[in-house]
Amino acid sequence: MLFYSFFKTLIGQQVTVELKNDLAITGILTSVDQFLNIKLDEIRAVDDAKYPHMMAVKNCFIRGSVVRYVQLPASAVDTALLQDAARREAQQPTTGGAH
Amino acid sequence: MQQPPQQERSPTEFLSNVIGRPVVVKLNSGVDYRGILSCLDGYMNIALEQTEEWVNGQLKNKYGDAFIRGNNVLYISADKTN
Amino acid sequence: MTEETHNAPVEPNAVEEPLDLVRLSLDERIYVKLRGDRELRGKLHAYDGHLNMVLGDVEETITVVEINEETYEEVIRTVKRTSEMLFVRGDGVILVSPPVRTGT
Repeated sequence: MLFYSFFKTLIGQQVTVELKNDLAITGILTSVDQFLNIKLDEIRAVDDAKYPHMMAVKNCFIRGSVVRYVQLPASAVDTALLQDAARREAQQPTTGGAH
Repeated sequence: MQQPPQQERSPTEFLSNVIGRPVVVKLNSGVDYRGILSCLDGYMNIALEQTEEWVNGQLKNKYGDAFIRGNNVLYISADKTN
Repeated sequence: MTEETHNAPVEPNAVEEPLDLVRLSLDERIYVKLRGDRELRGKLHAYDGHLNMVLGDVEETITVVEINEETYEEVIRTVKRTSEMLFVRGDGVILVSPPVRTGT
């Protein structure tokens, strides 16, 4: 749930989503769900010469599993808060069973 | 059942026996990691110490500690060469 | 998932399960090896059990092997990119290595 909550705080920000097929899309983050599926608005392909068919697309839904990276504006991220949240999440038993 | 008394009988027993010992971890990609097995979990996530990365029989990298994500693991083998 | 794991004594600096290695690297620069011959170096700000991560001041190195059309020689080329803040999806992660620390 950590990253779901994190992405919700980034709604309204401009982000670049890089997919596993190397297509990178920049747009405004409008929505995210628990699978880290993402909706973007006002989109453009970062390399629009290579992906001309993307020119006609204004907004999109990206299945979480095809995402490789999401580039974020550092100014929109409170790193101290994020690290605290990560430490708190580590206390919770969401990891694999011990041997 | 005739089994040598020293030998482990189950995968879990094998794993608890090799914790703290030199192991070879082979990944699906064919890359080998040699190091001391610190611990592992139910996903086969692995923590290694003094890790060496071997690609095609060549030493490519060394890491003090290494976390290996379990889904990449093909096998864990006790390293007798050390 | 068993109960005894959470009842274990809280030793924040002990490595009892592999993810502890990652937890102890928060706020440190780490090395991440990813599928597709990609490597990242950056400061770890967050992670979860899937190895999803947020890294800051990231340098990405992509290794590309090209075959020269005429000589059939393998040419290994590396491409570097930087990013100020990067979310990395955990399913691409192969290995995470914390900074060099003495006496684990």
